[in-house]
Amino acid sequence: MREMKISLTFQKQAYAVFFAIILSLVRGVSYSNEIGIALETPMAILAFTFCADTYTQEIVSKRSEIWRLCPMKRRIYFIYRRIVIQEIFLLIIAAASYGLFFLLQNPITYGITQNGLESEICRFFVYFAAVAVTLGFWGILSNLIACLFRNMWVGIGGCMVLWLITNSVIGNRIFGAWNLFSYSFRNIEDSRDFSWLYGKVVCICLGIAAMAALPEIIRKRG
Amino acid sequence: MGIKIEDLTVTFRNHVTAVNHADLEIPMGMFGLLGENGAGKTTLMRVLTTVLSPTSGTLTLDGIPYSEKNYEKIRKKIGYLPQEIDLYPSLSVQECLEYMGDLSGIPRQIYRERINYYLEKTNLSEQRRKKMKQLSGGMKRRVGLIQALLNEPKFLIVDEPTTGLDPEERIRIRNLLVDFSEGRTVLFSTHVVEDLAATCNQLAVMKKGKFLYSGNMKELLEQARGHIWICKTKEEGTARELEKKYHVSSKQYAGDGLRMKLISETPPQAECSPCEATLEDAYIYIANKETDL
Repeated sequence: MREMKISLTFQKQAYAVFFAIILSLVRGVSYSNEIGIALETPMAILAFTFCADTYTQEIVSKRSEIWRLCPMKRRIYFIYRRIVIQEIFLLIIAAASYGLFFLLQNPITYGITQNGLESEICRFFVYFAAVAVTLGFWGILSNLIACLFRNMWVGIGGCMVLWLITNSVIGNRIFGAWNLFSYSFRNIEDSRDFSWLYGKVVCICLGIAAMAALPEIIRKRG
Repeated sequence: MGIKIEDLTVTFRNHVTAVNHADLEIPMGMFGLLGENGAGKTTLMRVLTTVLSPTSGTLTLDGIPYSEKNYEKIRKKIGYLPQEIDLYPSLSVQECLEYMGDLSGIPRQIYRERINYYLEKTNLSEQRRKKMKQLSGGMKRRVGLIQALLNEPKFLIVDEPTTGLDPEERIRIRNLLVDFSEGRTVLFSTHVVEDLAATCNQLAVMKKGKFLYSGNMKELLEQARGHIWICKTKEEGTARELEKKYHVSSKQYAGDGLRMKLISETPPQAECSPCEATLEDAYIYIANKETDL
């Protein structure tokens, strides 16, 4: 509860909710299978802005000097705990956003037969898994960069640059199925194509590497 | 037992030397660190709390040398209240302290007992449910002091804890520090001379990264004895002349003209009489002795 009050302030919750509402109003979709594409990349922006202050808020408030006196394991555990809490909140927002698209834009679904309903649920779960990886990766990365430079804006800026590179035609050409946004660049007409999973594996591997690097950065940079 | 600093130098990347070949021994009890703004007090404290690494020199705390491998051991012995700190504004006092206790790795039952004890001691028991952002500056400092004491440190380092507080709150903080100095070393940094005069017997005076004086308060006063003068003048011109020539530690309009306290190695060229030195006078004397007195 204490951790929630620290890392999920009212302002952060409010802007995340507004972000989801505005996105579902302005980003047009015609078919239900376009919702995932419409959501993944903007959700990454939300994740890296949301998580950039996970630890840097301690630096800004000068509490980091007290943190330094605490055992390293506890410090890292507390930072990870904050990330997990924020990621769970973002996942809820991501799931709710999917619902909002249905509610506000009423996209065309593939029939209302038993099979049709099943495919919609299945599509949602695939989106949910993909966006969970995306949110996790961008949240961890922005926190890592922010800790490295002791500045949340550098964390956000660094992620923004990477976001612009990977969320572009050039990025798609260069990285292909290994792109961080491979889910958004996949061929939505071909539901049997799962080559986008490579991109998500890259996200998971980089995310794990970032989490492993965090203790050393905190040790060195405080 | 205590802190020992030998030939300590801290130079930043911009080539500014904040601490310059400093030597100091800090024994048990209250120890004051006095110096103007920018003297290097905060830098020294940040080195002592392992926030900063020194450029050169050696430090030991309780006989443990400051080195990367000993940092965890040293940190366990230190409680620190930085100059400016904003403790979790959205948490209540109780939640904030519990969070800090949890972060320090203290077992829950123990930190809860300590929080109750210190809240009682600092007169904050009734504020425990209040949010941090609702507290006054003095109350926030007191909470800061409690968080510094949660792990029962042998060394309590407080950086200008009375800055910006009203007189009553300043006295309260000072008294608390004296209470908490029992059985431990309290390093009390300030540029407010009165605060040290009221709390410390031992002190060090710092200027431009160097220690100008370190030792007993009485000896410091003794050093300044015979160099403090009271002058009375009715003429504005003479007063201005004296101000230009000497360091004036105080001046006030009395019924029969302007009464000025001057600091000078030799008797000033005016109608003066020697007077007893206060800590403030002694500080001004020491701080300016080498440069222009």
